[in-house]
Amino acid sequence: MVNNRLIPRDFLLFVMLAMLAVVLFVLDLFFGSLLIPFKTILQVLSATGNVNPEIKSIILDFRLPKAITAVMAGMALSISGLQMQTIFRNPLAGPYVLGISAGASLGVAILVLGFSSVFTLGLFTISGSWALVIVAWLGSAAVLFLILAVSIRIKDILTILILGMLFGSASSAIVNILQYFSNESMLKSFVIWTMGSLGSVTSSQLNVLIPSVLVGLVLCFLSVKSLDVMLLGEQYAKSMGLRVRNARFLVFTSTSILAGSITAFCGPIGFIGIAVPHIGRLLFKTARHKILIPSSLLLGSIVMLLSDIVSQMPGYESTLPINSVTALVGIPVIIWIILKNKKFSSV
Amino acid sequence: MSKQQVNITVRNLSVGYKKGKKLIAIKEGINVNAHSGELIALIGSNGIGKSTLLRTLTGFQKALGGEILLNDRKLSSFPIKELARVLSFVSTEAIRVQNLRVWELLAMGRYPYTNLIGTLTEEDNRIIKRAIGQVGLTGYEDRMIDQISDGERQRAMIARTLVQDTPLIILDEPTAFLDIRNKYEIIHLLHDFVKNENKTVLFSTHDLNISTSEVDKVWLMLDDKVLEGAPEDLILAGNFDQMFHSEKVYFNSESGDFMLRKNNLGTYRLTGPDGNILTWTGRALQRIGLICAESNPLVVVSVPSERDNLVWKVEINSEEKLECTSLYELTAVLYERLTKR
Repeated sequence: MVNNRLIPRDFLLFVMLAMLAVVLFVLDLFFGSLLIPFKTILQVLSATGNVNPEIKSIILDFRLPKAITAVMAGMALSISGLQMQTIFRNPLAGPYVLGISAGASLGVAILVLGFSSVFTLGLFTISGSWALVIVAWLGSAAVLFLILAVSIRIKDILTILILGMLFGSASSAIVNILQYFSNESMLKSFVIWTMGSLGSVTSSQLNVLIPSVLVGLVLCFLSVKSLDVMLLGEQYAKSMGLRVRNARFLVFTSTSILAGSITAFCGPIGFIGIAVPHIGRLLFKTARHKILIPSSLLLGSIVMLLSDIVSQMPGYESTLPINSVTALVGIPVIIWIILKNKKFSSV
Repeated sequence: MSKQQVNITVRNLSVGYKKGKKLIAIKEGINVNAHSGELIALIGSNGIGKSTLLRTLTGFQKALGGEILLNDRKLSSFPIKELARVLSFVSTEAIRVQNLRVWELLAMGRYPYTNLIGTLTEEDNRIIKRAIGQVGLTGYEDRMIDQISDGERQRAMIARTLVQDTPLIILDEPTAFLDIRNKYEIIHLLHDFVKNENKTVLFSTHDLNISTSEVDKVWLMLDDKVLEGAPEDLILAGNFDQMFHSEKVYFNSESGDFMLRKNNLGTYRLTGPDGNILTWTGRALQRIGLICAESNPLVVVSVPSERDNLVWKVEINSEEKLECTSLYELTAVLYERLTKR
């Protein structure tokens, strides 16, 4: 019988997933255009033995930030997807579908294409990174709160989902117009940004990304209890004593920070947000967020690390855009959800 | 379990909704009461405002005027968290959350009592287990709520209100979409809570004869007013007849349910011994539109006395004589003859 204690099966699953995440993290450091012996990687990580400083730099300045970014992106996108699915009681909700990533892109586009002076300031410095991440938060929050404002008037959750898609399309349209009017070099840097890349995140950007994601995750942990009752919808949540508006505000803030931060530094990465929470539900067979949040954290990291390893195409010189890899991983999961949901029930 | 008891006093209440800046009242001047230990059915035709009244009573929407008192304290003065310990609610919406186990659904009912991360204590677990037993879902703890029957899901939703441990429970059409057996069981369950635990339970329903046989009181919503009283009081006063303005439907105070008015085909009289056969022969004749009359009946039917020799002897207008071996045959023949005339 289930109760509030962790049942042995769940515990075992968590341990296995955590171990898998660690293994993939180390493997992610191993794969790249230059083949570095496994032993050397372990030596660098444990700071023992004499290692060629160049190789040390490749690992510590390039591969390690990239692997950490993959973990951050996986966790942040999965958790924002989980929160959206619960709040909108829709299994197909996610930061990408609701236009939240597009909102963040709009913020970034306005910054990158609209204010070229930012480039003299430098996007890769700490202040430039904060500028980037803040406009992304504002962009995603703008879309989310627009949806929230409408949701006060319109209670129908599906209408809100459609509106979210429309707001997202509108943001994309504005981004396209901005692109049309911008010069070639700005456009190029923007297009590269839209392709999404984990590898472009520098150590100094990580100093912005990591605390941002952690704040977003802490806010989500605070909602763990209210997310559960929100599964039953607004009326039931209210009847059990939840201040629905406050709870929604907290969840939306967390989602904006999580999705916005990742979009700011890695570009829009699709489908992870929708797919990962469902893998968690499939494995743990539960709707409780006390289980779903940690499972999404672990599975998100695993899926992103795996996608990153695949995008390295071990043995080849070039890399694939991460966005394409996550789409190929995520879309089958989404198709499976649609096929399974013939009745189209809630999450 | 809660020792608290709740009486509801509704005074001069107006319910309705806001449209832009305008207040649109659906129903005004509602004066009703409910006492602890009472099972109350809210009855009214579709669209008359039952759900609006229930939503107002649960505090989901504001009253447009008048007041709602829970034990002499205004409903609007309850902070939402405190209200959640007084009043629990079951809506008409069918909850179809995937991967949600019966046990997990019930655990949500402890929301007003648990800590920040919702840790359940031994006491919480005990309360959940007891509620599962009370609604007869023992053994269903691990079942997913989208994989159990409608009746079982409704019982789980009701068990959740027991877990929430409130002296007042309000349910919006808990018997809709259920089969007859489940309708009876749900109403009976509610009846038990009221009598065993002194709760106050209010529910809206369209199942007139099921609910009137169990409830202590009916709140009857009519076009211009809301009446209250024991179901029998309202039946005797002929109030149910005012529910529908229809020439086709009338309230049969004998059966306690609504019936379709038939075209009058004529009158009948039955002869034969009292019993089931006599009763159901009468029902069959009424069904095709005949009315019972002692003097000068158009049709006289002599009812068989025993089951093993079922032959009905029929005399139409004292001239035509027939014999039928089933009520199906009897009604078919009579209907054909009488409509031709």
